[in-house]
Amino acid sequence: MILVAFALTALAAIILVALSRTHNQMNAAAVGQALVFAALAFYILFFVRVPVDTFIVGSGYFFIDHLGLLEVLVATFIFVLAAVYARGYVGNLLISHELEAGSLKLFYAAWCLLELVIVLAFFSDNLALFWIFAEMTTVISAMLVAILSAKENIDAALKYIFVASVAMIFAFVGLIFLYEITRSALGTGTLNWTVLMANASALPSTMMAAAFLFIFIGFAAKSGIFPFHTWLPEAHAKAPSAVSAVLSGVLLNVGIYGIIRVFAIARQTAAAAIVVPVILAFGIFTIAIAAFSMLPEKNLKKLVAFSSIENMGLMLTGIAVATPLAIFWVLVQVIAHALTKASLFFSAGILHRQYRNHLSADAPDDIHDVFRFQPLAAWGIVLGGLAIIGMPPFLAFFSKFFILLSLGSISPWVLALVLVLLFIAASAFGYFVIRTFGRTTPPGEPCEPVPYHTPLSMQAPIVILLALVLALGLMFPAGGYAFITQIVTELGFS
Amino acid sequence: MSDPAFFDGLVKILFVCVIVTSAYIITTRNLVSLVRVYALQSLSLVAIALSLAWYENAAILLAIALLTLVFKVIVIPYFIATVQEKIRIKRDIEFHFLSPASSLLISLALMIVVYITLSRVISPAPAEGSLFFFGAVIGISLVMMGMMVTFSRKKAITKVLGYLSMENGVLLFGLFATELPFIIEFLIVIDLVILILLTTILTVGIDSTLEDYHNRLHRFYLWEDQEESP
Repeated sequence: MILVAFALTALAAIILVALSRTHNQMNAAAVGQALVFAALAFYILFFVRVPVDTFIVGSGYFFIDHLGLLEVLVATFIFVLAAVYARGYVGNLLISHELEAGSLKLFYAAWCLLELVIVLAFFSDNLALFWIFAEMTTVISAMLVAILSAKENIDAALKYIFVASVAMIFAFVGLIFLYEITRSALGTGTLNWTVLMANASALPSTMMAAAFLFIFIGFAAKSGIFPFHTWLPEAHAKAPSAVSAVLSGVLLNVGIYGIIRVFAIARQTAAAAIVVPVILAFGIFTIAIAAFSMLPEKNLKKLVAFSSIENMGLMLTGIAVATPLAIFWVLVQVIAHALTKASLFFSAGILHRQYRNHLSADAPDDIHDVFRFQPLAAWGIVLGGLAIIGMPPFLAFFSKFFILLSLGSISPWVLALVLVLLFIAASAFGYFVIRTFGRTTPPGEPCEPVPYHTPLSMQAPIVILLALVLALGLMFPAGGYAFITQIVTELGFS
Repeated sequence: MSDPAFFDGLVKILFVCVIVTSAYIITTRNLVSLVRVYALQSLSLVAIALSLAWYENAAILLAIALLTLVFKVIVIPYFIATVQEKIRIKRDIEFHFLSPASSLLISLALMIVVYITLSRVISPAPAEGSLFFFGAVIGISLVMMGMMVTFSRKKAITKVLGYLSMENGVLLFGLFATELPFIIEFLIVIDLVILILLTTILTVGIDSTLEDYHNRLHRFYLWEDQEESP
């Protein structure tokens, strides 16, 4: 029943968007939907016994377990804040004619649909169904990227669709493989994750490795893993900042979620000997590429996007270690990354409004006097940057620390390499902040831009997210600890 | 009539059709015929699905054949052809990295690699020249060739056709490797239709100036509403 509630809410929100006339009404519909979704997710968390096994849920197509619930909690939370943020941000886009008023309905309808599809993806038991929802998230979010009236946006969206969808085709070939494997090994073909987990040890290893590698290609592209990351910086940088936050904080998780699920099956077979080194290598390459791309980057949103790639790579290395400890902290890293990255994109969005560049979105940001014009956004970038590079006492410090620690158990050389790469990424962030935020106009000279009046709806999400990341880092709740331990057990890692 | 040898011969002829069409998609510069060839390729897939359905007496294959016929032979090619007329591009003469001849050679090599890899991976080892193994090999090769088109052509609309050709490869592979539940096949086609609608509409934007694009886009929104609602 709970899925029906999700679907009906989304439907109601889309109808409201279609009926409403002004931007504020549409935004209210989106915020309302996000709030109801978050309320439903928290309702499941507190009042329903997970794994849920009721009507529709548990029919072989959908199910709710702790991992899916965690992802939905993070996703709905970010959607609430992003929808609130969009009120001020999209309103300003309308004023500056970067978004046509005619496209507004399409924007909010796609926004509401995207949230529904993401929730359904995380609650899919059938891997083929999950594939379809994941593919739909690509299409819908690409629409959100393309909606601004600029040719670069269309370019970025098309690149996003082609790279992600082409890779996802390979994932589907992998799923067909998997189906055939189960048909020959178990008698009846199935793609149900629960069934696959229960019978994983009976699956032949060579075929399983082939299936995993194909599936990995698809979900790696979804989560921006090298060499399929090329779409990510452009799409994240060109999208409206509210959308960038969702792309980075929620959609990348879809890919990592898929990899974790399929890896949990593959590692129980002899295929682990092939699969683990591959994942580890891709993870390290991803961190390396991201770190070295961050170093010369002059565009703030691109810098933040590359930092997402780096974090995804780190999660991948953590998955490759495959000990209960590593998986636990990978999941914490998922939370930390999603929350921090959303706040960074929110702050970057404010700066983008303040110093928007009319020439080209690729040009370096012309940021100066930032603490005078936008003190909150500036501090948001500084503190968010500290949080994302893993400074204590923010949450990402603990997850990064323990992932690195478990990497050390594989080989100290891997640990040293990843540590150096993370250090490069961190220094790239610091270098950018010091270089751009230190720029001031000497007193007496005329200051060109008028301070952009940032509405409260754009400021509050940043403060909430940073406070949350800090609070979680200082005091991780015991319930959360038990919850994530439960996920690790359900994934069969203990 | 249910003669295995006849069935065998029929399907092999259809395989040749599929390969020839995909070779044409890789090399041609003429956009109008590109769409027609894609429709032809989908039609060969329909024929393969029908003959499989007749051979195995499987109703689900009939349903898949019907679905493919409606969407991939009629709706999508018609839609793309309409868009092409609107944007008035007739030829895509820009190749990114590969010239047509070298891409043909590479696709030949790809097929051999796929053949060798699959015969190693699939266990128990398939019989030499078994039709089902052949189908799987050609399916995967089609995916690879489609990917080459997607990444070696410059015009977005040609990329779309490359993607469609990849999708055909997956369908072929799925037909011969295993039997997926029909609901999954159906959802995939719906997903494909939405994706194609979006990319072709965006394509219009890439190949024209922006103000022009917005005027056209308003015309296309009508299109989109009609197509997506069912």
